[in-house]
Amino acid sequence: MIRATNRRAFIACCGLATCFTAFSARLVHLQVTMHDEWLAKARKNCGDRQKIFARRGIITDIHGEALAQNEPVTTVVLDATVVQYPGPLAAVLAKALGLPEAHIFERLTRETWSEKQKKNVRSPYIVLQKEVAQNVAQDLAAQLEQTKIKRTPKSHGVPLIRGVSFEPSANRIYPNGPLLCHVVGLVGFVNGESESEGVDGIERTMDSYLRSHDGYVDIERTRMGDEIVPYRGQEHPARNGSNVRLTIDMGLQNIVEQELDAVVKQFRPKGATVIMMNPKTGEILALANRPNFNLNVQDGVQDENRRNRAITDQVEPGSTFKIVTTAAVLSEKLVTPEDVFETENGYYEWCKLKDHHPYAELTVNDILVHSSNIGVAKLAMKLGDQKFFEYIHRFGFGEQTGVALPGEIKGVVHPPHLWSKISITRMPMGQEVAATPLQIVAAMGAIANGGTLMMPQIVHEITDDAGNVVAPFPPREVRRVVSKKATEQVCKALTEVVSKRGTAKLAQVLGYKVAGKTGTAQKREPDGRYSHDKHVCSFVGFMPAEDPAFVVLVLIDEAQTKRELDVGGLVAAPVFSRIGERAARYLGLTPSPEEPEGSIVAKGGKDGRDFRDQ
Amino acid sequence: MPDNRRRHANTVPFAKFVMFLVIGISALAAGLGFVWGKNEMYTTGAQIKKCEEELVQLKSRNVAARTNIAKLTSTAELQKRFNSGWIKLVPIPGDRIVLVGSAPKPAGPGELRSVANERKSP
Repeated sequence: MIRATNRRAFIACCGLATCFTAFSARLVHLQVTMHDEWLAKARKNCGDRQKIFARRGIITDIHGEALAQNEPVTTVVLDATVVQYPGPLAAVLAKALGLPEAHIFERLTRETWSEKQKKNVRSPYIVLQKEVAQNVAQDLAAQLEQTKIKRTPKSHGVPLIRGVSFEPSANRIYPNGPLLCHVVGLVGFVNGESESEGVDGIERTMDSYLRSHDGYVDIERTRMGDEIVPYRGQEHPARNGSNVRLTIDMGLQNIVEQELDAVVKQFRPKGATVIMMNPKTGEILALANRPNFNLNVQDGVQDENRRNRAITDQVEPGSTFKIVTTAAVLSEKLVTPEDVFETENGYYEWCKLKDHHPYAELTVNDILVHSSNIGVAKLAMKLGDQKFFEYIHRFGFGEQTGVALPGEIKGVVHPPHLWSKISITRMPMGQEVAATPLQIVAAMGAIANGGTLMMPQIVHEITDDAGNVVAPFPPREVRRVVSKKATEQVCKALTEVVSKRGTAKLAQVLGYKVAGKTGTAQKREPDGRYSHDKHVCSFVGFMPAEDPAFVVLVLIDEAQTKRELDVGGLVAAPVFSRIGERAARYLGLTPSPEEPEGSIVAKGGKDGRDFRDQ
Repeated sequence: MPDNRRRHANTVPFAKFVMFLVIGISALAAGLGFVWGKNEMYTTGAQIKKCEEELVQLKSRNVAARTNIAKLTSTAELQKRFNSGWIKLVPIPGDRIVLVGSAPKPAGPGELRSVANERKSP
């Protein structure tokens, strides 16, 4: 009896031991041998990679005013595989987002064939609506969280939010709209609209700094889609883009834009450009072109309006180019400002060159003051082809300035072996060469800066989120162009240009000495001849002449006015005066110690600007 | 059966009983502790998640507010409001502006100079 009992117990034990051994072996097989395979399957089923959103860097002016910002918005995404009650959910979503309920319901219940699962399945990722405002998304989330569908009256119910997720994203907005549009630029989208990329302006050139890098974290979810926080994997943090601080001063930019609008309204030109630069550092303080466009309204903008004419267009600089020749001969000490040249009574037979006003002879100084084409041609001939060509290059013509804006062109300066016999008489007056407005302003900046050409800068510095400087952009000297003494002599002559005697008396600014040069370039017709009706009027000058705070170029392309009035001194110079006066007040510049000789001082009229009428 | 053997066979093994009881209670406590700990982890995890979501919402509200401030204080917006008369500022006419230049250098030490705001006529 006892033996039989023992045997049965033994058999039962053996059976149990065998069972447990088998289970243990299977467990070891699953947990150890097949560990990686099952882990991968588990991760695939429950694991997810959650994106951590990073923001693109912002662009500000020199004082920190935002020029390009990110507006946080939300993308509403649905996972139809876990939505239990598509009808009520569609109703709530339709009401909150203003979409047709039937459309949402159809998308939630639409099934497509899955090759993997060999059956029709619902979509796990439906982008329902993009760019939903933050407050709308938050209200919707709260409403879905509170709304619970009960299967039975006594059950707790399932919250409607299950299967609905809110992905953060951002809209790029430009608070100043059309102001500074050609500088700030635009962003486009890459990688299926998940990443933004600069396509124009600073947004493009500084894209490597501005661009953000989204982070991610590997998470595990429950069957119902909720995250299991304790099983969260290692986090790869998001990296926000760096911020770009421009050299632009929005106060000055606003002045420039307003005056440009006024001149465009008055003359209805084909195009217009104003650039204001600090000659000592090369920092661009303001830059505006017309036509322009609103950065926040992308649709229907013509390419013509998008063009940054300050660097992408080239014009024959006209008489403003005379500063190059004059500064060069003075720097080479071939002449003194008092040397007298015969100016052929207004017509130079040899090369068929005319002056606007006939003079028998003029000093070097007066050649600039009266803008004599014949006089400046004779100065260039004294300099010689090669030397003249060398100085043109030294002033930065025929090469890119290197400003951090896309699409800059070099302009055209032909080498001497391609010149005709009369090229040496035409180039000094700004014909047969083509320059960008920025090159012209940089060249005048070199005169204002004592002969040193500075590289035009538009970016002041790059900073990170905490405000630490990531990349500074210090002022960069390009080269010494002419001697300091030569610039002083040219500056004196340019001051006289902006006086009663000169061609730019309307460029005067009350209380300040202004130095500058007018330019009226004839445009070329398609057949290659110079037009008598189409002009590019310009004025480039700086103030205060004794210690320049800024140099400004005003360039008006094809002003709609009478032919005899379509000259730089009448169209562009007054714009400089208005900009200069307002900018001097804005910057708090100390007035010049004495009035320039021959200038007119305000007689205290209604607006203090009576001298303009003279 | 001898007396001594019978007495011995009926003895309750207290030591072993206590040992198994302790082991059982320990195992039970460990198991319950594990479940409680796990539950705490999940609860704390859920709280962390909620806090994170709140933080994200606050950050995003902060950014939205900053964006709104940037819009409202932008040069273009202020200019628009100025033009519409919402910001009541009056431009200072030219004849009301006094330009104060640099003080002229004295001719000699100790020399006193009078100051005048001159306006020349053309």
